[in-house]
Amino acid sequence: MAINVKGFKDSLLRSLPLIILIYVSISEFQTQFYFWKIFSFNLQFIIIYYWVLRDPSILGYGFIFLCGLINDVVLSLNLGISPLSYLFVSLVAAYIRTATVRSTLISDWFTFVIAIMGGNFITFILIKNFSNVGVNYTDFFYNSLFTFILYPFFWGIFELYKRGISLRVYD
Amino acid sequence: MATSRDDFGIAIRSALLQRGAKQKFSLFVLILASILIFTLDNLELRSVKVLRGVINDGIYRLSAISSSPISFASASKSFLSTHLNVHKENEELKKKIEVLEKKSFDTLYLQTENNQLQEVLDLDKTTAYSTIGAKVMLDKNSPYLNSVVINKGSNVGIKLGMPVLSKGNLVGRIVEVNYISSRILLLNDLNSKIPAVISPSGEQAILSGIGQKNPTLEYLPDSFQNVDDLTVYTSGKDGVLFPGISIGKIIKDSDDENDNEERIMVKLFSDPTQILYVNVVLDKSNDEEAK
Repeated sequence: MAINVKGFKDSLLRSLPLIILIYVSISEFQTQFYFWKIFSFNLQFIIIYYWVLRDPSILGYGFIFLCGLINDVVLSLNLGISPLSYLFVSLVAAYIRTATVRSTLISDWFTFVIAIMGGNFITFILIKNFSNVGVNYTDFFYNSLFTFILYPFFWGIFELYKRGISLRVYD
Repeated sequence: MATSRDDFGIAIRSALLQRGAKQKFSLFVLILASILIFTLDNLELRSVKVLRGVINDGIYRLSAISSSPISFASASKSFLSTHLNVHKENEELKKKIEVLEKKSFDTLYLQTENNQLQEVLDLDKTTAYSTIGAKVMLDKNSPYLNSVVINKGSNVGIKLGMPVLSKGNLVGRIVEVNYISSRILLLNDLNSKIPAVISPSGEQAILSGIGQKNPTLEYLPDSFQNVDDLTVYTSGKDGVLFPGISIGKIIKDSDDENDNEERIMVKLFSDPTQILYVNVVLDKSNDEEAK
């Protein structure tokens, strides 16, 4: 019984990033967390990029795809826009993981720019060409900027969390 | 150089196709699935629309439940700040009551005068609409999206394009209809364009959302003079919205004082960030019904 409780606890702890990702996608976090007319950030990008890069066993691609679909429904976008954007971020993270031997915060942080730019570019192109939704480019720019700036902060939290639950780094 | 290109190709191929220890799908398969879903959604097939409606209904309900902690936190914050300012507010309210009491006498006089004039001119007094009340389930106000989701849908006869009122004033129109929920595009959304008429001057314009709290008026005539006390109503020129629904008052744009091109902003009668209950206008009652 004790083993089962421990197993359940471990499994719950390992699933926490996924639970947060689903919650952020389904809740009003993205629209509510907006201050001073410019401050907002894309927490989904940060979670996906970090965990696919550092430990892909925590965050399955299937769940990332599903969270993208949920996000499209909640934000009333055409289905498939967010999944493509999230999967591009996952692709960049998976590529960096394969191509680099030892990743550091600095290397992760600067390659994250490619993921943000690519992810948002896909969103822009699809919205612009296949949807009637208008986009405020300045706000998107600020969102991307703050997502980039806040990455080290979340990197620190996730590193501590990963060490705390003694997860092994994916090889 | 060739080796570097080969390395890049191998790494990309590996990232796309490798499933890893606990991955059930490869990135390549999921990207293809996303493209397929996107294509099907854009084709707007009836079956896909029905399926999307069912998914929307389910996810909106889940979203409303999962957002409740955040909504509760903002409500608590608002409750606390209101109570902290209660004394100051009380003083202000006393002053307001005095002013309003005076105004109520004026209004009574004007109402009587108005009734008499209408009888004389035999004006159409019909302002009644057949509406359906709905509650706001989800409030999605952000720089990217100013829309709300309500708990009524096609099951009560709501259709695309129907105007939505809050306290008798226009707040938006229906842009998405599911079976038991609908989405309202608010007037301050970037995509909102409403034909409007300015009273009493009678000039025509387009009320456009700019993603901020107040929308602006566009396509005004060159001779337009911004004087105090101009009210904006729907003109009904699009053939979708009914004419004469009150929208708001014209104000000067205080944010862009240094801007060469002064924007004409409209302060909405119903604050789009504060709406909780709305009325969807299903139809305009005919004269007989209204009387």
